[in-house]
Order: sequence, then structure tokens, then C-alpha cells
Amino acid sequence: MAPVTLRHVKKSYGDAAVIHGVDIDIADGEFVVLVGPSGCGKSTLLRMVAGLETITDGEISIGPRVVNELDPKDRDIAMVFQNYALYPHMTVETNMGFSLEHRGASKAEITERVNWAADILGLVPLLKRYPRQLSGGQRQRVAMGRAIVRNPQVFLFDEPLSNLDAKLRVVMRGEIKSLHQRLGVTTIYVTHDQVEAMTMADKIVVLNAGKVEQIGAPLDLYDRPINQFVAGFIGSPSMNFIGGQITPDGFAAAGITLPLPPGLAPGNAVYGIRPEHFELSPAGVAATVLLVEPMGSETQVTMTLGEHQAIGVFRERVKASPGETIIVRPDPANVHLFDTTTGARIN
Amino acid sequence: MKTDLSPTIKTALYGLMCVLLIPFVFPTWWMITSSVKPISDIFAFPPDLWPRRFDFTTYGKVFELQPFAQQYWNSAYIAAIVTVGTMAFSSMAGYAFARIKFPGADFLFTIVLLGLLIPSEVTIVPLFQIFLKWGMINTHWPLILVPIFGAPSVFATFVMRQFFIALPGELEEAARVDGLGRFKIFWIIALPLAKPALGAVAIFTFLHSWNLYLEPIVFISSKNMFTLPQALTQFTDAYGGAMWNIQMAAATMTALPVLLVFIVAQKQFVEGLAHTGLKG
Repeated sequence: MAPVTLRHVKKSYGDAAVIHGVDIDIADGEFVVLVGPSGCGKSTLLRMVAGLETITDGEISIGPRVVNELDPKDRDIAMVFQNYALYPHMTVETNMGFSLEHRGASKAEITERVNWAADILGLVPLLKRYPRQLSGGQRQRVAMGRAIVRNPQVFLFDEPLSNLDAKLRVVMRGEIKSLHQRLGVTTIYVTHDQVEAMTMADKIVVLNAGKVEQIGAPLDLYDRPINQFVAGFIGSPSMNFIGGQITPDGFAAAGITLPLPPGLAPGNAVYGIRPEHFELSPAGVAATVLLVEPMGSETQVTMTLGEHQAIGVFRERVKASPGETIIVRPDPANVHLFDTTTGARIN
Repeated sequence: MKTDLSPTIKTALYGLMCVLLIPFVFPTWWMITSSVKPISDIFAFPPDLWPRRFDFTTYGKVFELQPFAQQYWNSAYIAAIVTVGTMAFSSMAGYAFARIKFPGADFLFTIVLLGLLIPSEVTIVPLFQIFLKWGMINTHWPLILVPIFGAPSVFATFVMRQFFIALPGELEEAARVDGLGRFKIFWIIALPLAKPALGAVAIFTFLHSWNLYLEPIVFISSKNMFTLPQALTQFTDAYGGAMWNIQMAAATMTALPVLLVFIVAQKQFVEGLAHTGLKG
């Protein structure tokens, strides 16, 4: 186990810069998730930590060592790939023991470590099978087994659950998290799925177009996103955004006035409100129902507020039909306001 | 796709296939039956599909008239070395062209492929002069070196490159993280996975070497050094007339390994080419 530090890390392919000077501090034993939309550079950044991509500028340290010039094998990391990357011509046992074998470990040590990892991951009955004889979830577990068997200082996961179906993804999410809690190894995990990020991370790094937008604990990012991009990316369904003006009477948008927290300077802004922060209240504003989606524990309603479309999530079972009017009120304590030009948070 | 055909259409289709089979099967059948006929029966008209008399002494005479066992061994060991050599070179070259980024790789590969466009008849005289200079005429070296570094190897390189291009990059990256260098990745990861393509390369290289005719008649002059295709032309009587039944007996024995290779490995051959995207 070791801390990982990225200092002013940049990556360019020719003239095209894809990572624009990233600084991240990852504490020993921390579970950090790099999250962002496709093409934001999160996988590139992970591959730079792994040593699979060169670094154009900056410094990456694992523990006390700067690893910029080290080969992947010398960085004491283990990586789980999106497509598992299990060697098809080797059994599960050989796959798991492969790295130890090529690092000169004795047969007894390899057997002991493979059995230990297989026991943790429930792979003992599968040790003699080939990857083609395994299900997606089993392959994923073998890939993790291959990573943990060597007891590396850092685990790197590159979208490891994206090939699994929704149900299995939830199961494997739990397994990865409990594995981390058991082993305590520093982990960097890449995903584009913000639910994975929220549920697994000690710390989330939100990336956009090769830059870090915000670093923080999942709920900090959720409750106080630093800008409109983070606010829109974190949370599902996404935060609603309505453009308008801050006035003494509230937030004036086309056709409606929405409540605001006190003490805000007047001016143009973007009003952000999460779907679950609407409430059904006679003191609110009229909304025309477009779609009602009962989820069981809650009801998701797509509606128009004045000229703006928004989504509300209510604990109540909303009985309204499309075209009917409901009265909804955003909770002023949970309103987020962003600069219209820069997108930066202003409240 | 499974279709249900009526018995009449099925019968007609099988009949058609049997007719279409005749041009492919008849020469082999004719070769085998002629090898056990007395020479006068070979020219009987109408021809006999089944020999009227069997004469197996032709097979013994093959070995009396020429050092056929030696020639068989020559062909076998040359084909084996050429096959192994081509597999080694083409797999390494194919891997390099497919997986290693180096300046001018595509240009170099195009140059290599251009070698396929030059007929062997064009290069045979310069090659003769080169091997003469090196003192390798009437040795088996030209028959080994020309295929390994010539057109068959170029085609094999192309096949191997097509296979390695399709190999997932993550496997190599996983191997790098696991501690392997470039050669070990090739040897331990890529090559074992390339078995179907290697199998296809092995089959057509072996067959090409086994059937090689032009190069042996140019480079080899003594009977002890002959390979089988060259030896087959030498079963003649004192007046230069072909001893057809003995020649057919030698041809049957020559064709035997080829038939065996095809029967045993045809599935591998088709799979190998399918994996490289060369199958239509």
C-alpha cells in the first residue's frame, strides 16, 4: 500500500493536448474514483499511472518513488481491464499465478497466493477452467484475483463493470468495495457511471476535457458541486437547470418565479435544483405534467415549469396524468446557483 | 442456416455434386489405379476404371531405379525446415508489423508485399548466380533459403500480421503489467493464441516446399540430392519414354503426405484463414 501523487501531469498526442496539468493526491489505502464523460481523459490518466502511456509533462509518484520512467512491471501496481484481459489459453489458476511466476516466485508461494485469492473471491471450484468456460461475472472475479494475488501497492481498475449486466454490476460493485475494505490497498477506479462513483469512492475526481473539475467526497460533490458541469454530471436523474435572473422576489425565469435562499446579489444566473428537492406544496408554482413514471418507492415526474422542462422525484405516489397541472415547490435550502458565463457556483 | 429440402431436390443436388466431383477426383483415381496396372493396360481403350490385372512390383521398381528413399527424405527434411523456419520468421515479422509502432512500418510492409508480385521465374537466374557464388549449387541450401526468405514467407507474414492485428491490445498491456517484456509477450501470449494462423501457415508452407519444382531443377543436379517432384520426371526408359506405371507409383507415394496433411488439418487450415479475415 502506498499513496499516489500526480503533479501537473500533462499528456499530448502531437499537438493535441488531452490531459492539461492534473494534480491529484491519493492517500494510502484510499479508494479514488476518476469519473467523467467519454473522452474526458480518465482512462488515459489511469494508464499513465500504470505506465502504459508515457507522460508528456509533470510527475507521478507511487509511495516515495517518482515512477515517470519506470516500466509497468516495476511500479508495483496491478490493473483490472475493461475486457478483463485474461489470457485465453491459460486456466484460471495459471492466469492468477502468471505474474508471480514471471517474477520468480516459488511454486509453493504461487500455489499459496493463488489459493488465498481464489478463496477470497469464491474461485476455488473454477481454478482448472479456461476463461471461455466462465460467465462475465466469473471472469471479472478472476481478473480481480489476478490483481490481488501479487499484493501490489496500488490497484487500478479501468471501467471493470461496463461489460456486465445491470444486476451483476450491482453485485460486483459490492464485491470490489468489500475487497478494498478487506485488503486496504490504494485503489484508483475509472468509470463513466456516476452511480458507481458515488457508491464506491472515498474520494471522487470529476474530469472534463482533460481537466479536473472537482475533487471531493461523494456527498460533498453531490451537495456542493463547484460548477454546473459537476452539478449536472453527479446525480441521477441529473440536476435541473433553469436560466434567469436573481431578483429580490425570487428567481425569475420565463413565466415563473422560483424561491431562493436569502442574501443573494441580483443578476443573471443559472438555477439548479435536484429532482428530489421538489416538493408537492400549495405554496409552489404550477407545473404541467408531461410524463409520470412510478418507481415503487418514489415517483418520477417530467413536467414543464413555465417554459422550462424539469424532472421531479417525489416520495408521494403522484396520480396526475399527462397534461394535468400539479403545484410543486423547490426547496430554497437546496438551490444551487451558477454563473451564466463560467458555470462556477455563486451561492 | 438450416433448410428443409424435398427428397427429390436433395437427390438432384447430391447427383450434381457427384458430377462436379469427377474432375477433382478422377486424376487422383487415375494415378492410383495406373500405379498398379501393367503399362499396356494404362493405354487400353476404352480406359479401365478398375485395373484388369494388379501389378504391385511397380512400387518396388521405384526404389530400384532411383534412390527414392533418399529423395523422399530430402523432400521431407527440407519441407520440415522450411515450414519451421517460415513459421518462425513470418510470426515474428507479422507480429512486428502488427503490434510494434516504428517509423515507416506501413511503407516497409508495402515493400515486403510487393515481393509477392514478382514471379519466381524472374528471380531464378539472379538467385542461381548468387548461390553459385556462395558455392551452394547442388546443395539443399537454396531450397531452404529461398522459400524462407521469399514469396511463401511474405504471404505467411501477411497472414500472421492479419491475425496479430486482431489480437486485443489489453492482453499485451496485462502482460506488461504482469512483468513481461516484448519478446516474452510475443512468445508466451501472442504466439500460443496464434495457433490457428500458424497452423494455416504450416500447411501451405509445407505443401509449397513439398511441391517445389522450378528451384530443384535449377539448383540440384545429382540424383541423390533430388527432391520428389524432380525425381518423378526421371522414371524413363533407355529411350527417354516415360515408365508411366512406375512414375504413377512414385507419384502416389509422393502425394500421400499431402493427402494426409489435408485430411488431418483441413479444419485447422480453414479456421486459420478465417481468423485472419482472408476467408471470403
